[in-house]
Amino acid sequence: MKRLTVQNQRPFETSKVPELSVPEFESEVGQILSEGSRMMGLFAVEASVDSKKVLAVLGNDETSQIYLVKCLFTGESMRFNSFANEYPNTNYFECELAENSLIVPEGHPWLRPVRKQTVILGNIPYEFYSMQGDEVHEVAVGPVHAGVIEPGHFRFQCHGEEIYHLEISLGYQHRGLEKLLLTQDENKRAVLVESIAGDSVVAHSMAYSLAVEALSRTSVSLRASVIRSVAEELERIAMHLSGLSGIANDIGFAIGAAAYGRLRTLVINSLLLLCGSRFGRGLVRPGGVMFDLTEKSANKITENLIKVQQDISEINDFMFSSTSVMTRLEATGKVSLKWAGAIGMVGPAARASGIRTDVRSGFPYGAYRYHSIQTVTLDSGDVYARARMRSLEIEESLGYILERFVDIPQGETRSEVNPLMENSGVISLSEGWRGEIMHAILTGPDGKIKTYKVKDPSFNNWYGLALSVRNEGISNFPLCNKSFDLSYSGHDL
Amino acid sequence: MYKGIKIRLAQGEPAIKDLQKAELPELFRGMPQIDTTRCTVGCRTCRDACPTGAIMLEPLRLDLGKCTFCSICTDCCPAGALSFTSNYHIASSTRQGLITDGRLSGGIKPTAASEEIKKYFGHSLKLRQVSAAGCNGCELELNALGNVNFDMGRYGIEFVASPRHADGIVITGPVSKAMSKALHETYEAVPSPKIIILFGACPISGGIFQDSEETDRSFLGDFSADLYIPGCPPHPLTFISGILDWLERK
Repeated sequence: MKRLTVQNQRPFETSKVPELSVPEFESEVGQILSEGSRMMGLFAVEASVDSKKVLAVLGNDETSQIYLVKCLFTGESMRFNSFANEYPNTNYFECELAENSLIVPEGHPWLRPVRKQTVILGNIPYEFYSMQGDEVHEVAVGPVHAGVIEPGHFRFQCHGEEIYHLEISLGYQHRGLEKLLLTQDENKRAVLVESIAGDSVVAHSMAYSLAVEALSRTSVSLRASVIRSVAEELERIAMHLSGLSGIANDIGFAIGAAAYGRLRTLVINSLLLLCGSRFGRGLVRPGGVMFDLTEKSANKITENLIKVQQDISEINDFMFSSTSVMTRLEATGKVSLKWAGAIGMVGPAARASGIRTDVRSGFPYGAYRYHSIQTVTLDSGDVYARARMRSLEIEESLGYILERFVDIPQGETRSEVNPLMENSGVISLSEGWRGEIMHAILTGPDGKIKTYKVKDPSFNNWYGLALSVRNEGISNFPLCNKSFDLSYSGHDL
Repeated sequence: MYKGIKIRLAQGEPAIKDLQKAELPELFRGMPQIDTTRCTVGCRTCRDACPTGAIMLEPLRLDLGKCTFCSICTDCCPAGALSFTSNYHIASSTRQGLITDGRLSGGIKPTAASEEIKKYFGHSLKLRQVSAAGCNGCELELNALGNVNFDMGRYGIEFVASPRHADGIVITGPVSKAMSKALHETYEAVPSPKIIILFGACPISGGIFQDSEETDRSFLGDFSADLYIPGCPPHPLTFISGILDWLERK
């Protein structure tokens, strides 16, 4: 066997992952990609002066299998043949590996910095693509933007008003998070994980906690699992409402912006009732949840959600039947099914282009193993589809929570966490509101964490945004951007 | 059109009438309450557990500038000496003011701004926000200040797009190396007199990123802040009540 097949949150012994030579690695990863899997991670797990070991993580949405392949690189010049020309979904992962570990993907179509502008790939300083000709111009935006949002740099190549090409240059948010996850104790780690992306607190702490629980063979009560999934869906509803409010605001549909904003307050205040934080901070920890759901707060949350359910259907109906709204949303910022699939998009943005990918149903975890949730897809791949997708997911999630509240399992909400197993690893996936989150943890001979790799869905989807604005008017950029609503800090780590 | 009117009616009057006297649910973690008589001599459970080193002993004090309000201290204390109240009045005009022995039942109140600041900004305050590696938690809460519930605009306080139009900056995040220059330049672009507000544990102390090698906090050494809003992220009410108190606005 040249690969190890695992499942979401199933621990494995690291020695069981076959260690291949570079040519064997190239052929095996190529084989897995040709079977319809996509890359979820490519990172060094061991590094010494003259050798490096790289782990490739690939997942298949249809079979729910995750494949692991390890490669040993030795000698002065560490390189492999890039997969990106045939399978574009690997391209950014290869850039990340090159930047972090100086392993060069030979023949890569577009080797560029991911987070650190100062790391020069292959000793060639990076230059943005540029166009030449009459009425051709370049627009540079950021890192500080006009709104209250995170920093990043956008470089547009335009002909008149029309965008030909957009490059997104990030890294301004880099806080050295993965390094801190290795050096800090477990109390700090839990808070750090919540700060990977402050809008996806619950989803990231789910991926982390489930990984630790798998590695320590700790079982979590059904009650805790249900409370976690309620929090995760509340987070999803809140952020989707925030996104819809932003989209409505960007097209000057003031009543939509105000109404979605008001409903979001009800939802984040429901999270506050559950755990004391409007973003679900401090709730999910390895072993369970830190706050039990009282009957009083369950009743109040139910009341809030029923109110949201009633009001949102009218607002959705008004917004998505209004001609002035629809002319702005339809056929704007289109990403075709073919492109979305090729570049490995995830989450609601991918589902809006017709890709059936959702960790909750594809790689079920926690309470989603017992209580499944419907995966919705649309096919137009435009701003309309991404906005409509969010409204449909809100409805699904509201139904999901209210159904759980009918019969919450009784029992403890916390269990003792056992020590981590030695020389083991786990791939932990969860579905944040933006899409697939991956945390990979490997332990050493002492049971301490020696590798921690995080992948936020934004890492997959930023390139989707760049493709969506091609041949759009530059004034449509904010709308396209809001429809993807990606995380800078989750990408930059 | 009827649909629009119906939605407008459903909105009702969502604005919180008095932002100084709002009530938050009891689980909300605001001003801490500390009862040192319950502490056992030599016990340091809470201090050892705190992820950001916010707890000081002898006597037991909490530095809200470092605290992420994660509640592990209240959870691990064997004697129940520490708890959080839902009082959101915890903004301070000095860094020192954020260190509390948990006995101020009324919360923390910033000392009033200078007469000059009150004269210039007392009726209209335009702010430019700079996210310097903020995780989007603080950014979302600052955005929420403009929604129909908090409606900060009613006090003439607003976020603006350009630093040239601003009276000051609001910083979020621990200030990454990559944002250090942009932060300096944004501040320089604001005309004087200008103010600096630090929003959240990250800009105030580095928060959970205190030990990061990827931050450059020189800006915060070069310039002193006028207002500190603690929290992770701070509640919008802490921000607005802090500013109103600082400017002595009713």
